[in-house]
Amino acid sequence: MAAPDPVSERAHYRFPPSEAYPLNRCLYALKSDPAFIERFVADPVAATAELGLTEGERADLRRMDRDALVARGAHPYLVFMAGLRLKMAAEPGALEYF
Amino acid sequence: MLVGAFAVAHTPQLLIRPETEDRDLVLRVHAAMGRVKQRLQDLRPDAIAIVAGDHVEAFFLDAVPALAVYVGRECAGTFGPYRYRLDIHEPLARAVVEQGIERGFDLLYTQDAPLDYAFYVPLHFVMPEPARPIVPLHVNVYLPPQPTPARCHAWGVALGEILRGRPERVALIASGGMSHFPGTDRYASPEFDYDRGLLDLLRDGRGRELARVTGEELDKRGNIELRTWITLLGAVGDVRADVYCYEPSWHHGNAVVEWPLPTP
Repeated sequence: MAAPDPVSERAHYRFPPSEAYPLNRCLYALKSDPAFIERFVADPVAATAELGLTEGERADLRRMDRDALVARGAHPYLVFMAGLRLKMAAEPGALEYF
Repeated sequence: MLVGAFAVAHTPQLLIRPETEDRDLVLRVHAAMGRVKQRLQDLRPDAIAIVAGDHVEAFFLDAVPALAVYVGRECAGTFGPYRYRLDIHEPLARAVVEQGIERGFDLLYTQDAPLDYAFYVPLHFVMPEPARPIVPLHVNVYLPPQPTPARCHAWGVALGEILRGRPERVALIASGGMSHFPGTDRYASPEFDYDRGLLDLLRDGRGRELARVTGEELDKRGNIELRTWITLLGAVGDVRADVYCYEPSWHHGNAVVEWPLPTP
């Protein structure tokens, strides 16, 4: 097998590996699907049961462990915005809207 | 014709401020955006073309276009509690996609994709009254492999020629930048000195030099979104930038810039 491309392996934003597709799909839903955010906030175990995720991925998602998720191939931006959306859902009053 | 050119930060904390963000800094960036709004008011554009990098919102991993044009009658999106719907300048959008393809740029077009907040946040603050129709232009910045800075610049050159050949008065806005690393372990340490060096270069009217920067360099400096600026720079050429503000927060270099264009 060819060695990994040195440029993309060093990059902060890397080519999303296909094995992380279910994880990125879930983060995308957390970022962009308000109904899924609601289900996830209510019960993260049930909300992520049918998404083809590994147990390790589900555990990191429940903790929103940024570095662990990114190490698994999650897209950093999706991790960032999923986390911000969860914060917005949890404490809407703590935010100032312009 | 092309009557105005601006770059405007779009970090979501400018629209929805958590307690982690310095309120005075946010208001200073708002004031700079208010100057852009006034300039747009004075420039009387018929349409606003806005170049932004979709944040994996309209284009997830099911389809990843390098360059895209919104060509429907209108476009809409949501961000948190914000629900927005904006008219598209359809004849202009169609001219951009048709002439862009004639010039060798294989543009994706959409009449239906949602509009990301990267487009909305600047327009929320700078849209003149009455509101003008827009032409949203996507450049892939977040999903590697992204278009090279050279390709973005070449697209901007073509875009500038297309817009100058049109009867409408068009203002061009690049959304995003400067240094930031969302979702990475570099989040709290952006490259502000790099940003300041870039702004000096732009003040000198040397924007075309950015066409030679590599994608690797942009990633290393937290400036992958600069592809939207580089696209705009292709359109504006060697005009000297007027930097309205550069406000580095603990995680983001917020800039608002105008390239004052000669009257067409």
